[in-house]
Amino acid sequence: MAKAQIIVRNLSKTYRVPEREPGLMASLRSLVRRTTRDVEAVRDISFIIEEGEMVGFIGPNGAGKTTTLKMLSGLLYPTAGEARVLGYVPWERSPAYLQRISMVLGNKSQMLWDIPPLDTFHVLGEIYRVGPVELKQTLDELIELLEMEELLAKPVRNFSLGERMKCELVAGLLHRPQVLFLDEPTLGLDVSMQGRLRRFLAEYNRRSGVAAILTSHYMADVVALCPRVILIHHGELLYDGELSGLAARLAPFKLIRVALRTGNGLGGNGDGFDLPAGVDVVERENGRLTLRVARAAAPEVTAHVLNSLPVADLAVEDPPIEAVIDQIYQDETLEGSLPEGVGR
Amino acid sequence: MRGTVQPAPGRSFPGADHKAPAVNLRGGWALIKSTWAMWIQHRGFFFLLAFGWMIPPLIYMFVWSTAAGGDTVSGITRGEFVAYYLVLILVNQLTYSQANWTVGDVIRSGDMNTWLLRPLPPIYNTLSTEVAGKVVYMAFVIPVTAVLALVLRPELHVTPRDGLVFLPTLVMAWALRFFWGYWLALLAFWATRADALLALQDALVFLLAGQVAPTALLPDPMRSAATILPFRYMVGFPVEVLSGQLSSAELWVGFAFQAAWLAVAVALFVFVWRTGVRRYSAVGG
Amino acid sequence: MAYLRLIRRFAVASTQNELAYRANFWISLLHSALNLGTGVLGVAVLFGQVEMVRGWDFPAALALLGVYLILGALRELFIGPSLESLAGMDGEIWTGTFDFTLLHPVDVQFLASFRYWRPLALIDLALGLGVLGTATVQLGHTLTLERVAAFLIALGAAVTILYAILLAFSALVLWSPGFLFTWVFNGLFQMARYPVALYPGWLRLVLTWVVPVGMMTTVPAQALAGELTLPMLMGSVGLAAALFAGASSLFRLGLRRYASASS
Repeated sequence: MAKAQIIVRNLSKTYRVPEREPGLMASLRSLVRRTTRDVEAVRDISFIIEEGEMVGFIGPNGAGKTTTLKMLSGLLYPTAGEARVLGYVPWERSPAYLQRISMVLGNKSQMLWDIPPLDTFHVLGEIYRVGPVELKQTLDELIELLEMEELLAKPVRNFSLGERMKCELVAGLLHRPQVLFLDEPTLGLDVSMQGRLRRFLAEYNRRSGVAAILTSHYMADVVALCPRVILIHHGELLYDGELSGLAARLAPFKLIRVALRTGNGLGGNGDGFDLPAGVDVVERENGRLTLRVARAAAPEVTAHVLNSLPVADLAVEDPPIEAVIDQIYQDETLEGSLPEGVGR
Repeated sequence: MRGTVQPAPGRSFPGADHKAPAVNLRGGWALIKSTWAMWIQHRGFFFLLAFGWMIPPLIYMFVWSTAAGGDTVSGITRGEFVAYYLVLILVNQLTYSQANWTVGDVIRSGDMNTWLLRPLPPIYNTLSTEVAGKVVYMAFVIPVTAVLALVLRPELHVTPRDGLVFLPTLVMAWALRFFWGYWLALLAFWATRADALLALQDALVFLLAGQVAPTALLPDPMRSAATILPFRYMVGFPVEVLSGQLSSAELWVGFAFQAAWLAVAVALFVFVWRTGVRRYSAVGG
Repeated sequence: MAYLRLIRRFAVASTQNELAYRANFWISLLHSALNLGTGVLGVAVLFGQVEMVRGWDFPAALALLGVYLILGALRELFIGPSLESLAGMDGEIWTGTFDFTLLHPVDVQFLASFRYWRPLALIDLALGLGVLGTATVQLGHTLTLERVAAFLIALGAAVTILYAILLAFSALVLWSPGFLFTWVFNGLFQMARYPVALYPGWLRLVLTWVVPVGMMTTVPAQALAGELTLPMLMGSVGLAAALFAGASSLFRLGLRRYASASS
């Protein structure tokens, strides 16, 4: 059994945010008395990640993903709960701990702007106490994997976004961390570059056995890289397990796509067609219907449709993962059961 | 834009009735109000800036008044030095040129395109930041100067003549500094960096515009330079007028120099603007 | 020592970064020349009108200006650029890239103090030494070993005080990110151009003990002239140590606060 690298237990983080209403009187009042509001960014989450695992953190903006990552990397103190990464308490920020982890941020750069990337890499190598021989070896390997040879002579300010991201990855990995935090690494990149970076991360994970947490809004990243996902919403951990299980557990419904025969005399869109209870019409246009139905009821509804409508074509599908996530994000009172289907 | 297209008879363009006049006072006023509303929000930031600009005159005030002691330096008493520098602080703040960052940076960042697209002469943008800025700065400087005056006991005797002449020279000083700073900032149409020129300008203003010392106290070569060059007329000259340091002859000569430099500054501004905008549009910003 | 190697690395990387723009060199030269020119002329104008103010004459004031320029140069060499990269107008705290710095396995205060170097400040250093040297010759002081030692100690204390004040201001940015710390400091630092004796009594006290700009330039200048008493020298060293400790604590407090508040 692989060793547990990241252990999180009942971790919570609450911020005190100052509240201020607009207007002159309110601003004068705020000089004397400050009203604050407590925001629970992370509520009581627990999970364990083992060596070599790549886990995806998903959730809407403001769900608490980045806050959790920052606590695990030692940048933030939690309000309650505990965590141990590689046996260390992250927020004690011991140099030995910081030596072994790495964080790559998609929207921020740690490269020195006006000089070729190698120079920044050497400075970082010095900061992370990587010996010169080892550094050269690691750099050579990473540069080859990322196909970056021609970039080495240009100053970083002339790079495209994708090229800069490659540099960020090298900068984050040149000290061979054991744990890697990736915060939206493919943000803003074009499709082909995203694909290339995904392949790199998968290969690197395979070769090095690094444990990694990846947050991303591109489901393609998560699908390609993370066998396991953790869903965080409103600071709470809603799901921890395989991606395919996510749809099954949280949105157990199927989509029935129906194409109607033309000239069916039913108003062209199946108007007047009566549906059994619990079936939602998600889309209707141009003789095509999309119905959403509980997983268990799918076969029955399918039979009913085939019997009562002039069907030219019919398909029964799993909902696309984006739709599932979308539905979850929109649903305030998530209980893990079938949404009531009253429409949005 | 000149040369409007004529609609065919019987039809009219929808927006034809809402043509902005060339002067567009309403637009200008709206811009001034909105800029002011924005800047007053960040007044802490601007107060800090004003604080920083006040310090060099204060330093020289202290140094000269200590030098004068109970006696005088070249006929100027301690109290008169204090008065001179307090007035200098006010005048300096009132005439200070922000053009390098309200215009220069706008050109460098490419935002000038937005200005040029609007039916509003771009000078309105500069004027609106000018008004906003000066109001916010003075909201800080005036109270502080008043307090300093109470503590430090300045001596200011204003003759009727000096009092009357002060206001026009102050307005001209503002105009001179405004247009001078403006045409320098417009050099951004050609050069991407203004560091060198700015540094030089700051140094000359520091030495020759009355900060280091009232013009009368400068050594000869510097005093001649100060009388001929425009910098004294941007700050120091009105202050000297109000403090009564100038004889009639000196006053009118100075006034003439100020008017002449103002004309030069405006001419330079118009010329640089016209050539600059043409080049900017041709090169594509 | 690993830290020394690190400093060397930083200095090299910063130099390369600076040299990336050729124009930097010439503009820097211009700034240095203007700095020197306005400084010397400012003092010259004053002493063009009076022979002596409160015991300071032109060469003595010039010597003080020399110390001021030296101090300014040392600040521009590494203390200023490093702290500004952290707490300045476009600094890391403002843009949010401070997290990267926090993640490094090196003490944050060390990084914040030694990270960026501006080698062109060495020109200003040379100019300052030149001014100081010229003035000392004019003063006709004999430079005994004792005086030079006292000067160096006083200068060391001055640099430490300078560093401590800048560090404390940077720490304040951790609480209030928009705070223009360089700007405020520059204003106060300007006051060190002239001997404290030239300021009125109450201001003199403030500038010696509260915001010790007086300590920074007047004390070293007096040391070189042999006018510095031992208690005063000890006082400045003590003050430097106290301010350093205080500023470092404030900085660490600020880091703790930053780590519990940022989202």
